[in-house]
Amino acid sequence: MEEAVELTPEELELPPCKYEYLDHPADVQIHAWGDSLREAFEQAAVALYGYMTEIDKVDITGRQEIEADGHDIESLLYNFLDECLYVFSAEEFFVARKVVVTEFDKEAFSIKATLYGEEFSLEKHPQGTEVKAITYASMQVYDSGQQHELFVIIDI
Amino acid sequence: MVVRQYNEELKYLERLSPQCWRIKKGFQPNMNVEGIFYVNDHLEKLMFEELRNSCRPGSIGGFLPGMKQIANVAALPGIVGKSVGLPDVHSGYGFAIGNMAAFDMDNPKAVVSPGGVGFDINCGVRLLRTNLTEADVLPIKEQLAQSMFDHIPVGVGSKGIIPMTARDLEEALEMGMDWSLREGYIWAEDKEHCEEYGRMAQADPATVSMRAKKRGLPQLGTLGAGNHYAEIQVVDEIYDKWAASKMGIEEKGQVCVMIHSGSRGFGHQVATDALVAMEKAMKRDDIDTNDRQLACARIHSKEGQDYLKSMSAAANFAWVNRSSMTFLSRQAFAKQFQLSPDDLDMHVIYDVSHNIAKIEQHWVDGKLRTLLVHRKGSTRAFPPHHPLIPVDYQLTGQPVLIGGTMGTCSYVLTGTEQGMMETFGSTCHGAGRALSRAKSRRNLDYTDVLIKLQEQGISIRVASPKLVMEEAPESYKNVTDVVDTCHAAGISKKCIKLRPIAVIKG
Repeated sequence: MEEAVELTPEELELPPCKYEYLDHPADVQIHAWGDSLREAFEQAAVALYGYMTEIDKVDITGRQEIEADGHDIESLLYNFLDECLYVFSAEEFFVARKVVVTEFDKEAFSIKATLYGEEFSLEKHPQGTEVKAITYASMQVYDSGQQHELFVIIDI
Repeated sequence: MVVRQYNEELKYLERLSPQCWRIKKGFQPNMNVEGIFYVNDHLEKLMFEELRNSCRPGSIGGFLPGMKQIANVAALPGIVGKSVGLPDVHSGYGFAIGNMAAFDMDNPKAVVSPGGVGFDINCGVRLLRTNLTEADVLPIKEQLAQSMFDHIPVGVGSKGIIPMTARDLEEALEMGMDWSLREGYIWAEDKEHCEEYGRMAQADPATVSMRAKKRGLPQLGTLGAGNHYAEIQVVDEIYDKWAASKMGIEEKGQVCVMIHSGSRGFGHQVATDALVAMEKAMKRDDIDTNDRQLACARIHSKEGQDYLKSMSAAANFAWVNRSSMTFLSRQAFAKQFQLSPDDLDMHVIYDVSHNIAKIEQHWVDGKLRTLLVHRKGSTRAFPPHHPLIPVDYQLTGQPVLIGGTMGTCSYVLTGTEQGMMETFGSTCHGAGRALSRAKSRRNLDYTDVLIKLQEQGISIRVASPKLVMEEAPESYKNVTDVVDTCHAAGISKKCIKLRPIAVIKG
């Protein structure tokens, strides 16, 4: 059972939607962007959950902390999204409505994030499509000047 | 990726026969061997369109077309023969979907690549027969479909109903279908009609991460989502009466059950873990690939061996998974017809893997060689008299199960000698996608798709309405085109055509 947690109004505030699902024959390509790369990462994680259920049916009643690291920016993104998929797929079965990156080190390639959402329940959450895994295929991360966006293909 | 103008790209492609194209070296950098792919007129257009769409130098986003992916695979160290695209080939991740490649076990530099197996390790198809006819089933078709849907957990987030502890899982990973047999879920004969007899001996659960086991445990005995399904089908056409009768298929209208599923979250995590581990090993061993998703390791390195052991555990997981759903399907039929599964003659015709790497012996340039054959979205299709196929099919060749898509036909083919020579005993695996998932969601309407299925007399039970659009027949290549191309090219032979009367999906 999840513990009841106190959440501040700020934590309950919902972010704007800055992601889209692009055409790919077999799978789905997530395109996420933001005012910073940090925001693009947060958006990509929400996009991941958004494919597995209808995200507006998810309430924020709890939180989960996750951590990931990598050896370059692509592997950081890969491992971060894999971590997000894992909390959904195993014990906890947590689905997030909102993701906040709390620490983002672009030199050491490490990331910490808080996921806000609740336990996935077949009674409450419509079933979307299952995401099997994150892929490196045609992965692109842009982070310079005004351009902060990323493309990642998820395996369906 | 090399980006040239479309007309420039075409210079690297040459038609060999009406069903076959050659991809010359230079199409992608560092190609060790040539590529080859099989298409008919219709499928050919789709392939070339995919290539044309990607020839936009300087644009961001986008993805690699299937032809480029076939060529990237041809650039992997130790590849033997050709990188082969089967008729259902389309862009995937790393390898194309519908791509097979063999690597020389005796070449110390040859590699194994998790991207050549896919995330859904040992995803495959199983076909059960019954002694019922369509007329027996039609009056209670809706109840039967509902009963199958109630018995088999489907869709994202569903959990298995067969009781499993962490210890059971360890044993299942090691024993595959021997575990299912010991626990009483299957019949002894089921194993006989399954590739590898439902158990890969190299499996070592100790090489599998805790994460994979945690993802796998709740999902054992679940169908999953995406293109996975359980269908009640009837025999629509018999092309090879003699081979069909060896499979226990005697007449049109006979009822069968097809199950298409894989190793669920367990296999997905095993593949992910291997990909991450191999990325590191590639730096150490100085291996370079054209695509990061083609991460690979030398077959005899620790990473390579660990992957083969954990992949085998995932393969065992998938067989136990399909076996659990075989058990549930038999129960559903038995309850509806008040007859035991035995009396309904619900035998396994065959069970194929279409995402796997296997050690096999093949003739290359007149010499018998031991190869690691990767099949991703490709099915093994061994010819008559091959020692690795069961005694019942020694004279017909291996049954090859080609699953259609929701609402379309499925096929049973048999392996041929020509396929053994040309494609390392491999053929297609299904329809292969034509329309992207996002496009299907935009262009198709949920209710239209359902009405159309209803008009065709197909009952459907599905967990996710969105999936109905993504998986609509319009989203796929025509499976008949795919199968006819395999038949015309001689790499496998048509035996039976099946059409669905009820579909159960995630």
